[in-house]
Parts: sequence; C-alpha cells; structure tokens
Amino acid sequence: MNLGFVVGVFGVLILSHAAYSTIQYRGLLKIMEEEFSRPPMNVIVELIIGLALCMWAALTFPGKFLSIHPDSDENRAVSLPDNSEFMIFNHRGRLFPPQIDMKF
Amino acid sequence: MVTKTEETQLNQLENRVENGGGGVWEYLSLVRKLKVRRSEIVLKHGLSILNDSGKRSALGPDEWTLYEQVAIAAMDCQSLNVAQNCIKVLKKKFPDSKRVGKLEALLLEAKGMWEEAEKAYTSLLEDNPLDQVIHKRKVAMAKAQGKPSLAIEHLNKYLEVFMADHDAWRELAEIYVSLQMYKQAAFCYEELILTQPTLPLYHLAYADVLYTIGGLENLIAARKYYAATIDLTGGKSTRALLGICLCGSAIAQVSKGRNKEDKDMAAPELQSLAATALEREYKQKAPAKLNLLSSALRSLKIS
Repeated sequence: MNLGFVVGVFGVLILSHAAYSTIQYRGLLKIMEEEFSRPPMNVIVELIIGLALCMWAALTFPGKFLSIHPDSDENRAVSLPDNSEFMIFNHRGRLFPPQIDMKF
Repeated sequence: MVTKTEETQLNQLENRVENGGGGVWEYLSLVRKLKVRRSEIVLKHGLSILNDSGKRSALGPDEWTLYEQVAIAAMDCQSLNVAQNCIKVLKKKFPDSKRVGKLEALLLEAKGMWEEAEKAYTSLLEDNPLDQVIHKRKVAMAKAQGKPSLAIEHLNKYLEVFMADHDAWRELAEIYVSLQMYKQAAFCYEELILTQPTLPLYHLAYADVLYTIGGLENLIAARKYYAATIDLTGGKSTRALLGICLCGSAIAQVSKGRNKEDKDMAAPELQSLAATALEREYKQKAPAKLNLLSSALRSLKIS
C-alpha cells in the first residue's frame, strides 16, 4: 500500500512539473511571437510517464476490488434469511428433546 | 441473504466446531450476523462456553449477547429450563430492560401459555406502540396457534404501517401459499420483486406461484420469470431450468387445439436449450441420475 501511495504522489508531481514547464514554454513563445501548437517533446514524454505512474498507483492503492458480477460467489444469494423474527416454537422438533442432557 | 462465500465459510466453521477444533465464538458470531437457524449446535457449544466461567469472562460485554442467543436456541430445542436460567441471569443484570421483557414473553410463548404471552406483549406495546419485533411476534403467535387468517389480518395491518419490510412480505406470501390463496401470494411476491429486483430467489418463487395458478397467460409469464432467474444467476439455478422445460410442455398442452399464433408461444428452442444445460449439469454433479433426467425430459417433450 505504501509503495502505491508513494508512486501516486510521484506521478502527480511529475504531471504538475509538466504543466509548469508547458506554461513557461508558452511564455517563451509569446516573447518570440510564435504560434503555440504543442508542448515540446520532453514535456510529452514526461506526461506519458506521469500518466503511467498515476494509473498504476490508482489501481494498486485502493486494495482489493469487489466483484460486480451478480452471479459471482461473493454476490450470489444462496438462501434468504430464515425469518427468525417470525420463528415459532410449536414445530415437530418439540417432541425430540436434545440427546445430551444440558444443564446450566 | 446468505451469499455463497458466506455459506461455505459457515459450513467450514460448523465442521470445525463439531469435530472439536476451536472457533466456537467466530461460529456463533457468524450465525448471529447471517441470522440462520442452527439451534442445536448453538445451544451445545454456547452452553459449553457459558458453563466455563473462564471463557465466559474472556468475552467481556459480548457475554450478554451470548446469553440471549443461547436462550433463544434453547427455546427452539425445547430446553426450557436452560432458557429460564439464561433469562434469570439477564434479568439480574438488566432489570428494567425491554429486550429482556421480550425474551420473557418469548419464553411464555415457547411454553405454550398463549394468553399470558398475549398479555405480556400488549403491555410491552403500550410502552412502545411502534415496536416492529413485538408486532411480528403477535403474527407468529397467531401462526403457532393454528389461526392463519388471524395471522394474515395482523400482518396486513403491520404492513400498512411498515411497507418496506421484506421479511414480512415474504412471510405473508408463504402463509397465503400454505392456504392456497395463490393470487394474493403472487401480489406479495410482486411487491418483493419491485423492491429488490436483483434477488433471483424472489423471481423464482413468483414463477413457481404463477406456474401453480395455471392458464396460458400465467404460464407464459412464469416462463419469462424463470428465464429472468437464469439470467440473474448466470445459469446456475437448476430449478429455473427445470421450470422452463415444464412450462414449455404445459404451454404446448394448453394451446393444443388453438390457432397458429398461440402455437408460436411454445418457443421450442428455449426448451431444448434448457434441456441441454440441465443434462450438462447433471452429468457434472450427479451422473447416476442422468438416465432419470433424460427419460423425464423425453416424456415432457412427447406430451
């Protein structure tokens, strides 16, 4: 968990650094009076690295994912609750006292 | 509702506990969480904890919950003395508690003293007129005394106030089915499906009731709900597969002398698909019974 967190923080830092360098690049272009078509190559590489790191961290940091299939073993309802609030004691088991003599 | 992983966990713990390994407290907590009814085992092992004062004090404040659980299990197994003693201990600890009052009234019910139990519940209701559990106990008492119409009356009044209670709707549906009032039971199951459409067990029960009522429209609707159950369970419900086969043959029989468009409702592909899936499942799980199944399916298709 810790590694995912650190990697995530690192990825966010890289992305913010890329954003800052793009803004500086635009300022430079304004001084040189040229068109801003796309950020320089190194910023693009930085962006791709930041994307990969953040995605990896987002998938590993939260821990175990829960199943969403309705028929997977964790979500499949095998039986409904036994309605113990409506339980009656007047059943046939009344005639079979427990084998072991229980004392308290 | 109990999921498959929870059920396997419960069975594993049960085997462990019954064969003398530890884990009694986890088993008891799981039974309490899933609300299943395993009274004999709970009684036997709960008493073994309670009789041992060392283990009892190790539980801390959970001790009283265990007393309550063992008391109810004792009443279910008809060991009324054990239940009486547990309630006595609880009453000494919590003298003015409504929860203990409910347990005492429950004990009166288990002993069969209906009038005293009725009086106890009425007095508890005076203090707290909106207590759901006490209303349900009155329904259960009417059911235990063999007066299903009175139980239905109480349950209807209860459901007018607490319309969102799934257990009560299910209980009402089961009482109607036991009295063979299938249309009302179908209504109850419709309410359940409306509030919890992702639970395939309700679709299955509704389809069963529709199939029982009979008639062409009901059979077609029953087949639709069996298909919905298969969809929701990913094909793992044997009962729904059998239901489709039976519905198909029943529809074919009912619409024998009718015109062409009713014959189109027979949907033979669905029936043969269900039959193949059934045979595959039987081959996997119970190969000894495969011949029985094949001959039954063949006789259905012929008729």
